[in-house]
Amino acid sequence: MAGRDYLGEFEHIVVLALLQLEERAYGVTVRQEIELRTHREVSIGAVYATLDRLETKGYVKSYRGDPTPERGGRSKRFFRVTAKGVTAVNRTQRALQSMSEGLGLIENYS
Amino acid sequence: MTSPSFSLQPPRLAVWLVNLFTVPDNAEAIVGDLLEEFSQIAHQAGVVFARRWYWRQSLKTIVHLICTAYRAAPWWTCAGVAGGFLTHRLLWGLVEPTIFAVLVRYQIPEHHFNVYVFFASTGLDIGYLIVFLFEGCIAAIVAKEREMAAATTLSLISAALCGTAVVSWVVQGHWALSRFTWDFADTIAILIGGAIVRTHRSAHLSRNENLPNT
Repeated sequence: MAGRDYLGEFEHIVVLALLQLEERAYGVTVRQEIELRTHREVSIGAVYATLDRLETKGYVKSYRGDPTPERGGRSKRFFRVTAKGVTAVNRTQRALQSMSEGLGLIENYS
Repeated sequence: MTSPSFSLQPPRLAVWLVNLFTVPDNAEAIVGDLLEEFSQIAHQAGVVFARRWYWRQSLKTIVHLICTAYRAAPWWTCAGVAGGFLTHRLLWGLVEPTIFAVLVRYQIPEHHFNVYVFFASTGLDIGYLIVFLFEGCIAAIVAKEREMAAATTLSLISAALCGTAVVSWVVQGHWALSRFTWDFADTIAILIGGAIVRTHRSAHLSRNENLPNT
């Protein structure tokens, strides 16, 4: 039973942001992408807490970039979604679509 | 006049606090991300706005990092809190007998009465402050990489107890301001204890990283 493999709300948003950003996904871009698309203020701590949790579950993988001067010589930590992560996001999307079918949520409540 | 390079620096205290609460694996990425975005915002909206943004982000991030510590390493973090609490229980009762034993041993009451009065009042408060400092250190040592999460929890518990005591004293009509100050200093001492251990560990880690691979 794969019932435990659904993503939480913020996990779902973060994984979708990683998929949107592809190779450019690291803390700053992920945070900005979420703010841009959801219009909600997100802290970098919340993003990393979620990314760490997703990495522990095997849904994302991280790797270090090169240090850059605008970051005071600190390196970026890039993230990418694993195959397991793509499966989980698809499953969650399908579940949400299935649950909202016939409700006409956007038309009725927007 | 402030030089441009200085004015583009994020608030030092906020940077230090984020470093304290971040686990070493994430410290470089989180601090680097905050600095990069701070520079972008400072260029677009000005330094004052960027500093406010940095403080807001830092405080929210610290809250998330404390919560993450309990989710990622619940046993170690709770063990740190328990360790700090046990240290407090063990040492608290020793402060007064130890100070008075030393005073009597060196015949302070007979020869230096003013010194005796100082140690019997303020000296005791300082002794208790050291116990709280030690409590924070032990909590941080036990909690491994989540030093500040454990120390902050203990400090918050202590502050809550302190606040309750203050309210009850005020309700009863007692206004011992100096007493309240000492009690709140104790809660800060726990945080300082945690920060000392964390700073020491970070320095040790960076020393090891900088060692040449021979």
